[in-house]
Amino acid sequence: MTKRISPKIARGSGELAILALLAEQPLYGFEIARQIGERTGGALQFTLASLYPLLYEMEKRGWVEGHWQSNQAGRDRRYYRLTAAGRKQLAPLREEWRSFFHALDCLAGVSHA
Amino acid sequence: MPERMKPDWTRLVREHLKNSPSPCSHDVIVELATHFEEVYDQARATGSSDTAALRRTLQEVEDWDVLATEIARSKSQEDSMNNNAMSQRTKNILLPAIAILFAIGLVLLFLDRAAALQMFIWIACMGLLLFAAASEASRLNLRTRSVWLPGFVSLVAASLFLFAEELVLVHDSSFYFTDISLRPAHLIFGMPRWFYIAWLVAQVLCGALGASLSRRGGGNCFARLASGSFPALVMFAVCTIVIPASAMFEHNHFIFHNPGRLWMGVLIWAAVPALAMLLGAAPFLKEATVS
Repeated sequence: MTKRISPKIARGSGELAILALLAEQPLYGFEIARQIGERTGGALQFTLASLYPLLYEMEKRGWVEGHWQSNQAGRDRRYYRLTAAGRKQLAPLREEWRSFFHALDCLAGVSHA
Repeated sequence: MPERMKPDWTRLVREHLKNSPSPCSHDVIVELATHFEEVYDQARATGSSDTAALRRTLQEVEDWDVLATEIARSKSQEDSMNNNAMSQRTKNILLPAIAILFAIGLVLLFLDRAAALQMFIWIACMGLLLFAAASEASRLNLRTRSVWLPGFVSLVAASLFLFAEELVLVHDSSFYFTDISLRPAHLIFGMPRWFYIAWLVAQVLCGALGASLSRRGGGNCFARLASGSFPALVMFAVCTIVIPASAMFEHNHFIFHNPGRLWMGVLIWAAVPALAMLLGAAPFLKEATVS
């Protein structure tokens, strides 16, 4: 398993991770956290405490919107889906992170580490 | 070794967030509690003992005060934004329009004038109310959105139908109401049977309307059943509380001397319509697939 990235660094990438996941399909909080962990090989992990304030913040900005849905067992889950504004944010955020990695690579040679 | 009972996650979250800088909404508490439940269930499903699953779940939050502060910060501005949005659209336009139409409708009803116009006004009120509810639905909490609002819409639809029936079929529905309750044989042989059959068909549609709106609002099976049968619950309350209370105030002892008539009213106006509503609600008890 990949080494877990420290929460401080992981948190900064949270917006991009969530937007990228929700661009594929609407998901509820637990499933967002599970998929981020699974698809990054455990490098990025979000707990309840780190995930929901970020989701609410993104909802406030109008990037995502939540709606309640019950599953077959009658459990209420709040699904989040990407809004048009959120979809617009995805490409610039990707570009920003690409620039960030490039800059960090020039400075610290992270790709050769 | 017997397993411990599952923790009450909703209570745990509410207890920990009760000293939050700003009160957390019911939706936030339910959402966080559901997350805890999912983490706990997953830990149990992957073979963790009850104690280990519990420990793993509680690790989701290291510092509740920090979480409370962060949620308050991310939510506070949103709530005020939502309230402003609601006041602009609903408070300044829709609610005043509904109130004015409702007042005109009441005046016409009181004066017993312009029956067709009255019908138009009540339908317009209903339409505006539905529009307001639909546009504000995402801002309401889960219980309001999945139980009270669909139940109310279903009740208004049932009442409107009764009113329309009065206009189209008869001039005094109260005659049929008492006539059917006092002489149930008329349901089989008399004219009221058409009135009653039409009423029952409408109840199927009202049940479907309530349950579908509840499902749309994220209601579980119980919420959909409650919303779908809401008008029957109200009729039950009318028959068992309002009518006896008003009879007592008016010193009308008929129903107290003939309680069987009252229970016949409950059967005809609440129990049978409830069955019709549940029939209408049944197709909406299945889960909708998430797109």
